[in-house]
Amino acid sequence: MSSHPVGSLAGQWAGSATVADPAHWAISLRDVTVRYPNGTVGLNGVSLDIPAGSMVAIVGLSGSGKSTLIRTINGLVPVTAGTLTVGGCAVDGARPRALRALRGEIGMVFQGFNLAGRASVLQNVLVGRLAHTPLWRTLIGRYRGSDKQLAYEALDSVGILPKLYARASDLSGGQQQRVAIARALTQQPKIVLADEPVASLDPPTAHSVMGDLRRINEERGITVLVNLHLLDLAREYGVRLIGMRAGEVVYDGPAASASDADFERIYGRPIASGDRLAGDGAAR
Amino acid sequence: MTELALPPRPRGGYRGPAIALGVLAVTVVMCLPGIGIGVDLGAIARNWQNGADKILKLLAPDWSFFPRTIAPFVETLQMAVIATAVGSAISLPVSFWAARNTNPSAPFRLAVRAMLNIVRAVPDLLYAAILVAMVGVGALPGMLALVVFNIGILVKLVSEALDANDTGPLEAGRAVGATQPQINRTLALPDAWPAFANQALYVFELNVRASTVLGLVGAGGLGLLIDAVRTFYRYDQLSLIILEILIIVIVIDTVSSAIRRRLV
Repeated sequence: MSSHPVGSLAGQWAGSATVADPAHWAISLRDVTVRYPNGTVGLNGVSLDIPAGSMVAIVGLSGSGKSTLIRTINGLVPVTAGTLTVGGCAVDGARPRALRALRGEIGMVFQGFNLAGRASVLQNVLVGRLAHTPLWRTLIGRYRGSDKQLAYEALDSVGILPKLYARASDLSGGQQQRVAIARALTQQPKIVLADEPVASLDPPTAHSVMGDLRRINEERGITVLVNLHLLDLAREYGVRLIGMRAGEVVYDGPAASASDADFERIYGRPIASGDRLAGDGAAR
Repeated sequence: MTELALPPRPRGGYRGPAIALGVLAVTVVMCLPGIGIGVDLGAIARNWQNGADKILKLLAPDWSFFPRTIAPFVETLQMAVIATAVGSAISLPVSFWAARNTNPSAPFRLAVRAMLNIVRAVPDLLYAAILVAMVGVGALPGMLALVVFNIGILVKLVSEALDANDTGPLEAGRAVGATQPQINRTLALPDAWPAFANQALYVFELNVRASTVLGLVGAGGLGLLIDAVRTFYRYDQLSLIILEILIIVIVIDTVSSAIRRRLV
């Protein structure tokens, strides 16, 4: 795959009027290895092609490298060896400015929501526009009207617009995760990465948040990569399933038809009741 | 009753008493003449009466002195308020540069911290003395000395609070492609307000007390008056001034703890 210099990205996407060519936003990993400064190997020679518009569930136990994979794609974790291109731009070796421009196109949702607790919901969602906002506007807190409109629409699409002026920390966990999804949507992203987005939510809330992520993929054609450790959620919401163990891809195929045996191979141990959101029995 | 199998006792149980003994030994050595400061209990027994009559005078404040204390008292408060405002305004951005969470550039951060260590190493009385020589006797040098003194304290305390804050929101800021100043403004600042306001209130209280001392070198406020009455051994008048300081410190403490409760 040819990769053009990422420097052009900043200019290319500076105007929000530019419509992205969906095919342009494929993710491609070639023998990607990530070694942390303490010597831990996060990814070990991973090669993957994720076409634009995919709905991918990445499963594995904690420490399997699924979180590293997600964080490598938007450059939060640097690539040690191999090549990684996102939207035709090389992420490995990208300069800080180019990397920021690329991250502006990639939304991210975290297990711990990662909102500024004392700031309002609106302020948190407007963070999604920072890559397109000059510093002086950020410092005095005067966002563009069009950016605010994007924030309102994003909040409305996850059903949390009435909480616009509430303090983020006053919301429930499920509501906070929706605010975090709205923050990602406000970026008008081409890709959304979600790192264990429902691991700290109760089962009904987990399903509605996963439903939001599915809608983002189906209605807007945004590529969604979700890290999960529960096999029933992965089967239900993933279209493609990537299984990881010890920093390597050990399964890659359709999610719906992945058998319990496949999951046992991914986990490297028999299935336990804790591996399902619904608990033992109910999901079968 | 069955015998329970207890795990082996952890090693290092002697550590607490050993540390206490060590502290006691160091204290005793520091008091010895020759090696330490030479604490002479005999001198206390011989001379305590010299101080006792001063304390007796302090117990009978000269209330008629009150009108003359009003102007310096107000000046002290003004110095404290302005110094707190100016010092806090300067300290806020500098605190972000001094914390690891909000300034990943190690050389820049270490340079800021080194400067602040120098600022803190110089006593506030020395700042006041130098500034009195530079800009003349009065409230202005006192206020400037307090500003410098405040920056030293505030930046240290606020940057430590910043480093203790959750880094999750900051990672979210990096993930959306924001620059570090943008991340600091939108994600670090909202969560830094309580710590900042807390320390600013504390520094205000320090300023009221410090500005009484700064007057000793000519830097305005109640300190100037304290220096004057002390020279004439008017401990009854001094006692009134101390009483006034006590009252204002209690008022500030009450008000600031009420504000703190609202902040959390």
